[in-house]
Amino acid sequence: MRSPLSPALRRLLAVQRPYRGWMAGGAALALLAALAAIGLMAVSGWFIAAMALAGAGGLAINYFTPAAAIRAFAIVRSGGRYGERLVTHEATLRGLAGLRAWLFRRLIPLAPARLAALRSGELFARLRADVDALEHFYLSVLVPAAVALLSTGAALLLTLIVLPLAALPLLLGAVLAGVLLPAWIERRAARASELAVRESAALRGMLLDALRGHSELLAWGAVAAHNARVEALAAQLDSRRTRIDSVQAVGSGVVGLLAQLTLLGVLVVGLAAVHRGALAPPQLVMLSLLTLALFDVIAPLGEALAQWRATLLASARVFDLADTPPCFTEPSSGTPMPPAYEIAFENAHLRYSPQLPWALEGVDLVLPAGARVAVVGASGAGKSSLLGALLKFYPLQQGRVLFGGQSVQALPGDALRRRIAVIAQQTTLFNLSLLENLLLAAPDASAAAIERAVSLAQLDPFVASLPQGYDTLLGEGGALVSGGEARRIAIARALLQDAPVLVLDEPTEGLDARTARDLYAALDAAGRGRTLLLITHRLSGLAELIEEVVVMEAGRVRARMPVGEYLAAEGGR
Amino acid sequence: MGQAWLLSGILAAALFAHAPLARLWPQWLALLVLAPLRLALSVRARHTAFGAAQQLGAGLRSRVLRGAQALGPYGLRTQASGDLITRLVDGIEAVLAYFARYLPQAASAALIPPLLALFVFPADWVSGMILLLTAPLIPLFMVLVGRAAARASERRYGQLTRLGAAFIEALGGLVTLRQLGAAERFAAHLDGEGEEYRALTMQVLRVAFLSALVLEFFATVSIAVVAVLIGFRLLWGELHLRAGLFVLLLAPEFYLPLRALGGLRHTRMDALAAAQQLSRLDAVAPLGAAARAGSFRAMGDSAPEIRIERIGYVHSGRGAVLRECTLQVPARKVTALVGTSGAGKTTLLSVLLGFAAPYSGHVWVDGVELGELDPAQWRARVAWVPQQAHVFEGTVRENLLLAAPGADAGALQRAAERSGLGAVLERLPQGWETPLGERGLGLSGGELQRLALARALLREQARVWLLDEPTAHLDPASARAVETMIGAAAATRTVLLVAHRLSAARSADWVAVLREGRVIEQGVPAELARARGAYAALLQAERP
Repeated sequence: MRSPLSPALRRLLAVQRPYRGWMAGGAALALLAALAAIGLMAVSGWFIAAMALAGAGGLAINYFTPAAAIRAFAIVRSGGRYGERLVTHEATLRGLAGLRAWLFRRLIPLAPARLAALRSGELFARLRADVDALEHFYLSVLVPAAVALLSTGAALLLTLIVLPLAALPLLLGAVLAGVLLPAWIERRAARASELAVRESAALRGMLLDALRGHSELLAWGAVAAHNARVEALAAQLDSRRTRIDSVQAVGSGVVGLLAQLTLLGVLVVGLAAVHRGALAPPQLVMLSLLTLALFDVIAPLGEALAQWRATLLASARVFDLADTPPCFTEPSSGTPMPPAYEIAFENAHLRYSPQLPWALEGVDLVLPAGARVAVVGASGAGKSSLLGALLKFYPLQQGRVLFGGQSVQALPGDALRRRIAVIAQQTTLFNLSLLENLLLAAPDASAAAIERAVSLAQLDPFVASLPQGYDTLLGEGGALVSGGEARRIAIARALLQDAPVLVLDEPTEGLDARTARDLYAALDAAGRGRTLLLITHRLSGLAELIEEVVVMEAGRVRARMPVGEYLAAEGGR
Repeated sequence: MGQAWLLSGILAAALFAHAPLARLWPQWLALLVLAPLRLALSVRARHTAFGAAQQLGAGLRSRVLRGAQALGPYGLRTQASGDLITRLVDGIEAVLAYFARYLPQAASAALIPPLLALFVFPADWVSGMILLLTAPLIPLFMVLVGRAAARASERRYGQLTRLGAAFIEALGGLVTLRQLGAAERFAAHLDGEGEEYRALTMQVLRVAFLSALVLEFFATVSIAVVAVLIGFRLLWGELHLRAGLFVLLLAPEFYLPLRALGGLRHTRMDALAAAQQLSRLDAVAPLGAAARAGSFRAMGDSAPEIRIERIGYVHSGRGAVLRECTLQVPARKVTALVGTSGAGKTTLLSVLLGFAAPYSGHVWVDGVELGELDPAQWRARVAWVPQQAHVFEGTVRENLLLAAPGADAGALQRAAERSGLGAVLERLPQGWETPLGERGLGLSGGELQRLALARALLREQARVWLLDEPTAHLDPASARAVETMIGAAAATRTVLLVAHRLSAARSADWVAVLREGRVIEQGVPAELARARGAYAALLQAERP
């Protein structure tokens, strides 16, 4: 605990600002319940002792006031604790949901360029486990610490009034149990709890591999070996947790011990005072029980602090990710899109990292509106990078990309991408219904438009074969449809987007010749009146769709020619 | 308890006898001895409980992982992996908390109150009776509340796994969502799911907290009654202060285990809901394990001949994918499967790999039925290139070695060269040690395909090659090189490849056309091309 509130935690509180009312309310209720519990014990002790003394001495005693106080304290304690739990949990859950939503929205502009290094298992771990770990901060650290601090203050004040000398052991005990012990626990558990965070993220990643790569592992006879690795990591994680729990157990035991010792100290001081006649005996009983009650409030701090380092690490992981700057600063939302659709690359240079060779190395290419151009080349020639730059997913190191005469850098990314429909090399479908998957790009599409897109994409027979039709769930990543079906769904989805520019990235890869041939006609119809950019390493039947061919090689445009010329040259080889 | 007795002794003596501190030293000392003893015992108890729970959790985790794997590749695909991981990590933790904390607490709740009552009775039987009469009300009430809470808890847990699945999917498809301009809408969809989860959680917590409140209330009222009665009897002189204080100090301890149990209620509810989900996986019977008694048939080392006889296969939720599918795959030849998408080509490979259990028909390997062979031994002879290869966390080298852990540097080099991965590695500054992102982030489609090919080629001992579109995503020159490599390898192997593009089939020795799960035509490619059958029609379709 070098700094009580690291920058990350201050950020955390800032993000949680909308839930401040809930958080403060929960803390207030917690304090109320704690004070009532301390008051209950103290008054009860005093009451019993006073009653006993009165009985022994045959004195009269007003038992109505203390009895009423006991009742009031009891009700406030129970009700307060109920309210506290409800409100603090409400605050936590709202805070966490808000934080998760906030983080997810921060991730959106980072994909794909800035997230390339992180697998979705790791991202998931941050979004789930790390955000959940932050729940701990408010619920187990912030609220108990505030409550313990204020309760100790109140208890000390009372003790100072009744018997100033007794405040000394109480203060000593409270500082030991509430500050030094938690600090010791935090130090002892720091390494283990930090490692636990990292290993639990790694475990999620490994499990994801075990499940998603199961077919491969099974085919290679590697399932047992991978499982053994999973179990070894899990065992390591378990040993960290055992370590943390042991430290916690010792800590909570020591709190009990400290409570006893403090009580002894109070008794020693108190009994001497009783002897001197400086303190009424019932007040000594009151002070003793007050001490025990106060330690009940302080006790949870030690256990909570064992996770402190994990909380710090989790918040650092969350904010590191959230603070990653996107590659592009978006222009103000009102920036209008140009009316034209001409696409131009000017001396475009792109590479994915300084160590890697150029993916695009000085590409100059103009695609007038309505052009039908194929970009061909071997894999790794830079065809897909062209698309990444056009969609404003990757920044150029040099040169620029123009859309409608304006640099894409100055255009709002979402509006730009709305005008460019892409049928990607790898189709990503979501575990939504077929209809929802189709509507992702065009939520307001009419039934007629959907029918048209589906039939253009040759998807009718597939839809007809589904017992639940459009409402069929497609499974995670579209796992329940074949590769060819997935491609056709992606084509229908792109057609629904109704954009002036249509990009086909290997549109018939994974389709058999007949299906592909049926699609050519559909794509031809869909491409009418639009700019058509075809990215492929094999032109074959797609040649009918286009007018010109651009040949790429090692990140440069080698040649540009009419399609007939290209086919003739190819045929001659 | 001992502490309470000593403490009450000290206080009573001090109050009444005005005893000097020095005279009470035996009590002081005893108190000082008892305190560390209590510390040591509580630490030990907690350590034991946690250790035992963890062992149980670890056992459960590996059982459930195996259960999930037993669903087989097809069954697993119907499960969202985010959902499974939530179960495997968070579910196990919920169950662990139950064993580490709830169960020991339940034992304390059952044992400690009667034990304390045993000591309270001699001191003050009136208080003893109050404690004994109120105590059973607490568990009774908990049972009543628990019923209502269990359902809510299960719904909450279901929502938690759904939320996890939705998030992991959104993260995996973030680029697509951005591309479609749907990211913000999907985020709103996630917000809705999250809000639903919050509402369900609060519903569960309200019940749990309410039951804790009632418990507290019962305990507080009982303690208050005890306290008031003690107070009055002290006032009337019917009770000695020491006994009174002793009972008063013990009364909260009497209810403490029960109250603590109430505070852990949601631990139990979470664990029950999680366990219910886990048990569903735990109960899965291993795919096609058919628990064969007796030994498997031995296999030769040479390339086998594979005979597929009237195989039928149905996907759950879909129509028949294979029906009466019959095909002969000769040894030392390349056989190509062609046909429109959805014709069942990939499924046929899955049947051969033992991933999909056909409902009818037989597969014969060198005259021995596939079911008679040890699946592990059979797969050890098979090299497979899937349609979409999974890229594992790790470097290029680690990804290759997964397929053949024992391969040496020479074998790695050979596999890289023959698959064309070598050229890719040259481009990567870290070469073999390049860490691969998801779906091989950083690698293009063609480069990924080479990685998948290299992985298969690394299994040099494999005599059966099952290749699902081995040349997909490759440029013509690379594809031709791979086709040549396959043709050469077939000299000592049985090769069955799925070809969407007929150029890959043209160089095969034998080609079979699949339509609607049946082989409708087969023969030598050149002859089929001349005939006017299905293959010729497919060829016609491919021609520009």
